[in-house]
Amino acid sequence: MCTLSMRPKQTINNARVTLAASARKMVSFLPWLQRRLFSAEVSRTHQNHRNWTVKQVTKSNFSDCLEGIKSHISSSDFIAVSLQKTGSFSAPWHHVSPFDTPDTAYLKTKHAAERFQVLQFAVCPFTITASRVTAYPYNFHLFPRDELKIGMPSYSFSCQTSYLSSMAREGFDFNACIYDGISYLSRAQESAAKVQMGNAISANAMVESTSTPSVADTVFIQRTRSRVKNWKNAFTDSSTRADEPLLRSLRKLILRSEEYNSRPCMNIDVCSERQMQLVIEMLQEFTDDLVPLIIPAKGGGTQSVRVVLASSKEDKELLQMELQNDEEKQNKKIRGFREVIDLISASQKPVVSHNSLNDFTFVHSKFLAPLPTNMEEFMCSLCLAFPQVIDVNHLMKEISPMRKVTNLPMAISYLKNRFFAPVDVEIPFQALVNEGKIHGHNVVRICQLFAKLCYILKLAPNSIQSNDKNLASALEAYSNIFNPYSPSPQEPIDGDIRIWTNNTIKVSCEDLVFLWGFRDMTAGMLKSMLQASHKVFSEEFDVRLVDKSCAIVVFRRPGLSKTFLDVLNGGSEIVGPLREMVSEGVRAASYETYNRACRLGTWDANLADALDKALADLDYPSGADSKTKSLDTYWCSEWVINLDEL
Amino acid sequence: MTRQWPLRAFSGALSRAYSSSSSSPFPLKHVAKLNFESAFCELKSHVGAADFVAIDLEMTGVTSAPWRESFEYDRYDVRYLKVKDSAEKFAILQFGVCPFRWDAHHQSFIAHPHNFYIFPRQELAADGTSYEFLCQTTSMDFLAKYQFDFNACIHEGVSYLSRRQEEEALKRLNLRYEDNGLLDKVNEFRDVPLARVTDVLFSERMKNRLSEWRDGLLRSGNGVPQFQGISNHSRQQMQTIFYKMRPALSLNGFTAHQLKLIQLVTNKHFKDLAYVRFNSETSCSQQIVVYMDSKSDKDLFMKEVKDDYLKEADMKIKAAIGFRHVIDLLSSAQKLIVGHNCFLDIAHIYSKFFGPLPQTAEGFVSSFHTYFPHIVDTKVLLNSNSVLPQRMRKSNTSLSSAFSLLCPQMAVNSNKISDLAFRPFVNVEVQVDDTRSSNWSSGIKHEAGYDAFMTGCVFAQACSHLGIDFKLHSSSSENLAQNEKLQKYINLLYLSWIHGDIIDLRTGNMIAESSGSNKFRKQHPKILFENVVLIWRFPLRLKATEIRECISKVFGPCSVTSIYHVDETAVFVQFSKAELVFEFLVLKESLERSNDAISVLHPLSKLLEGGNTCAAGYETYKEICSSPISKVLFADQADAVGIRWKTRLVESKLEAQSQKQESFCEENVATTTSISVEKSKTGKQHVIDDLLSRRSKCDEVIDSFFTAEVRQVRATN
Repeated sequence: MCTLSMRPKQTINNARVTLAASARKMVSFLPWLQRRLFSAEVSRTHQNHRNWTVKQVTKSNFSDCLEGIKSHISSSDFIAVSLQKTGSFSAPWHHVSPFDTPDTAYLKTKHAAERFQVLQFAVCPFTITASRVTAYPYNFHLFPRDELKIGMPSYSFSCQTSYLSSMAREGFDFNACIYDGISYLSRAQESAAKVQMGNAISANAMVESTSTPSVADTVFIQRTRSRVKNWKNAFTDSSTRADEPLLRSLRKLILRSEEYNSRPCMNIDVCSERQMQLVIEMLQEFTDDLVPLIIPAKGGGTQSVRVVLASSKEDKELLQMELQNDEEKQNKKIRGFREVIDLISASQKPVVSHNSLNDFTFVHSKFLAPLPTNMEEFMCSLCLAFPQVIDVNHLMKEISPMRKVTNLPMAISYLKNRFFAPVDVEIPFQALVNEGKIHGHNVVRICQLFAKLCYILKLAPNSIQSNDKNLASALEAYSNIFNPYSPSPQEPIDGDIRIWTNNTIKVSCEDLVFLWGFRDMTAGMLKSMLQASHKVFSEEFDVRLVDKSCAIVVFRRPGLSKTFLDVLNGGSEIVGPLREMVSEGVRAASYETYNRACRLGTWDANLADALDKALADLDYPSGADSKTKSLDTYWCSEWVINLDEL
Repeated sequence: MTRQWPLRAFSGALSRAYSSSSSSPFPLKHVAKLNFESAFCELKSHVGAADFVAIDLEMTGVTSAPWRESFEYDRYDVRYLKVKDSAEKFAILQFGVCPFRWDAHHQSFIAHPHNFYIFPRQELAADGTSYEFLCQTTSMDFLAKYQFDFNACIHEGVSYLSRRQEEEALKRLNLRYEDNGLLDKVNEFRDVPLARVTDVLFSERMKNRLSEWRDGLLRSGNGVPQFQGISNHSRQQMQTIFYKMRPALSLNGFTAHQLKLIQLVTNKHFKDLAYVRFNSETSCSQQIVVYMDSKSDKDLFMKEVKDDYLKEADMKIKAAIGFRHVIDLLSSAQKLIVGHNCFLDIAHIYSKFFGPLPQTAEGFVSSFHTYFPHIVDTKVLLNSNSVLPQRMRKSNTSLSSAFSLLCPQMAVNSNKISDLAFRPFVNVEVQVDDTRSSNWSSGIKHEAGYDAFMTGCVFAQACSHLGIDFKLHSSSSENLAQNEKLQKYINLLYLSWIHGDIIDLRTGNMIAESSGSNKFRKQHPKILFENVVLIWRFPLRLKATEIRECISKVFGPCSVTSIYHVDETAVFVQFSKAELVFEFLVLKESLERSNDAISVLHPLSKLLEGGNTCAAGYETYKEICSSPISKVLFADQADAVGIRWKTRLVESKLEAQSQKQESFCEENVATTTSISVEKSKTGKQHVIDDLLSRRSKCDEVIDSFFTAEVRQVRATN
């Protein structure tokens, strides 16, 4: 290596320099370093991973693994998760960008989470003791099979060919996944499925009604009581037992008796929940040998009460046990992989992920319930299931605030070359006998990265057990931040241009204007055209392309955006090339229109089309009007997709 | 040779599929990326010699939402929209092509079953949008049940470009390099200010180095100059090479930003140097600075470079065409194409290999007909009177049952059936590569290659039942597609199997199946679409019978002819008279407006409970079906499509004659006339929400489009 670039590298290697200072120095050398180090590092880390044993779980060994992961979750400090999906964003503008507010960012990820599918879900409970990470990585192969024939968990899903191709390059076995992937139902789907399947529910935990029975109720109860008595007597009365088979079957017919679990039973039809209540209450009289079951109606509610006759008190207990077991077995079958999600959720332990907004919109929509309409509700709903979600990306931002290190191996090598963070990953699983591709290494990388970051950021990984509280409160500050472009929590919120990043400034949504309807133009061409067209552009402003159809104009002085929009809509004062462009169909709109385009949910391939629709569809309720005004976005001159480099 | 697959993790699965050609009973030629070219060459000669070519497709799914499944309430145009939606959203995973040639010497057909694995890999960088397709979970599960090899498909499938995609790629390419393609970005960098000190320093250094290098070139004449006093590393970064007979500096180890600066410096300060980026053979891009002695030399050089670019990009595009070569071959060979219930298949073929599907069935078939002039559907053949005796048609006409019925010798499982009525028998032999066999056990069902083979066999037998004697054919002279005994069946496809609606590919006309032909099918009374109201977002637990009851209370016991659930959130209600549609919608609207006691007690209030119930005429259903969005529930779909009103009225005045229609064609015209009547009155058209005024304008446009279309249909009639 040359002397020129050697020096900064050395400084970095001895990195005990304070964060801000080193960051500032590094800026100009970073790109070069990154390239150099990355290529070298990848091959090195790759070899390590050969030794990482990740337990691969499919339908065939799922139930065997459940006990194991249950105990590992309960004894762990953290749980890392990582998802392999069939796609992410379909068009350039669907990507979450720095100019997105939390709400628009959420809407974009929501759209992706609803359409694409998770094929692998890696879960890794881990503990950090001193500099040692003990991890138990599992990689679950999922496939949304409609096992109950009720159109759930999903009717269809989208695939992006580029995603499938890259999975193929990693040697992913699609056959194994589709033939033998574990299915699941979300919590919301489970309750819907139970209603649809109409399986009997045992009526043990019924609340007794307090209201006094009406005349009709009394009549109904008396009639049912005598029916039940008659039916019961027919079986318990010793005189009838000796009857010949023909007679017995005839009696069965008359009494409308059936069999349930090889015991006699009868169905009592009910017309309302009230009647069901009454029947259950009445049946308390026969508590010795009758077990009531509730049969739900297809459309919800109750269809009938089934009474099962046990031959003795012991038999009744046996029956109740059987029923409970059946129910559990059924539930297990319905939940499938969600059992694991429920285990994680029940443990209430911090969940560590990479790109948490992407992953947890998927988790919410596939395993909890359909995604709510805005970020706030999503956060509330998710918090109930997962109280603490930590995104390693946000921890990374503490260390390298000016760059987005999005890729895991890159982040790990970045740390490795700048900081002293000795972390050993230990996986106590027995090495697997069956060779072949092992998937799900990312989840171990997340554990490793998280442990390193904790060490560097002094989040007390050494004494995790002893002063749990400190760690908890320290980590709290990094938890549940879902907006990928939010500032890290330690930064002062002053609204000034950030000195050390140089290219990130804070702008209000109000100062952004979306411009579309032009043809084949680069940002530079647009900018010079705008400069020549109106006096608002005599001050500093920025132009970037969002996609090939639409540009975004950033005004540095508040109020200019409104002037510009007024002028453009008035159409009179514009001079020069812009005038021509306007007559050819160039349009402009405020951030609110963009917001509405996201909420409309048509997600056209071109942002221009979506904005056109949003402008046309003015009657659509605009819920977040007031909210966006106060929100700021971050303007960073490096976020745009540079079309020139395509 | 074709058996040389790469040894990879998935090769187990692949070889399983592949080995079927040797060890497993049915000989089938599997084609994927690696053996595509050689297989295609062979296929070319087979197709050239063939009498007909049977095809079959396996897709990732059929319907994108439950309410997009095929219903009795599908008018032919709606049916087409559903097929269109399916073809646009799902991917083809396997394409079976099986040319059949009559071998006069052996007195038998020779079939060459090919099973192509295809996968729409994105091989060209397009405009940033990604290739996407939908998978229907039940379809994937179904394929898995038949041991479909997804790995072979995704890992090794042949990719393709449609004709439209190819055109667009070429257009993009030409646009990009239109004028002085490579220098086009110069202007842009002019206004980039050198903000950072490091940038300024770097630029200055590069300027010095470049001028030093150039001066060195000029000084030494033809010698290669060396940088003086510069470190080894920098020397590696800028090495002197020759590019297109000119001295050049290759730039290595610079960052993208640095390269940008170098480009800037080159363009700004050196008239005789050019910054060029090209893709080297290792496919990573390489940047160089080239020296040219004169302006004319520069122009010449730029042209050379540009031509190189174009050639390379053009080759890339040509290579990306992939499987479409097979389709082009079938199209240009003009052979008789045989499919089984293949309307959806041809829609897939059109949308994947030609271009976006036209808006109407007529537009589609006329366009498709120009590419494939002779198509025959075995399902149509089997349901005609002369091929199968009535009692046989009573069993279903699915491909596998037709195969075991018509070709019992070949379908191993059905050896028991030895009905003498099915003699004489047409012999079929299978040839894969150079091995010919007439003995095999059955292949895997729902493998496209085998299904195509079965389709071809069924067709051959059906032909012999029609009285076509292949033995009399001197194989080359007569074209099977011109055979007069087949003319009655050629180019007719089922648009809707449920209705028995057949579309004529030559004219785009709909033909109702002659009533006698399939008595086994449940005869439904004709649905009069102008009598239909679509109701959605009603209280969830309301059942069809309750809705009928509710409406009958208001409009009389015989007012409702039938009710059909689209899904749990929507129903079709067919009234006995078209006026009732109008009356119902008006009543609903007025009930919703008034909020007094009477409206609460009104019998319809049960249907309107919750205040979300929406209703409209049949045209709205078509409008919703034409949307590219597919939500699982119909009510959500209506929302997503952007319907913000609760009731849309339709015009009531309809001629009574429209109720006495027999043939589908007539009815079709009548329904559309009703729209044109509606259109002429759009001025008066009652629109509930004032917000709707914009929408109604839009309707006007659509409606006038329809009238034009109606005229067209009439003209073609």
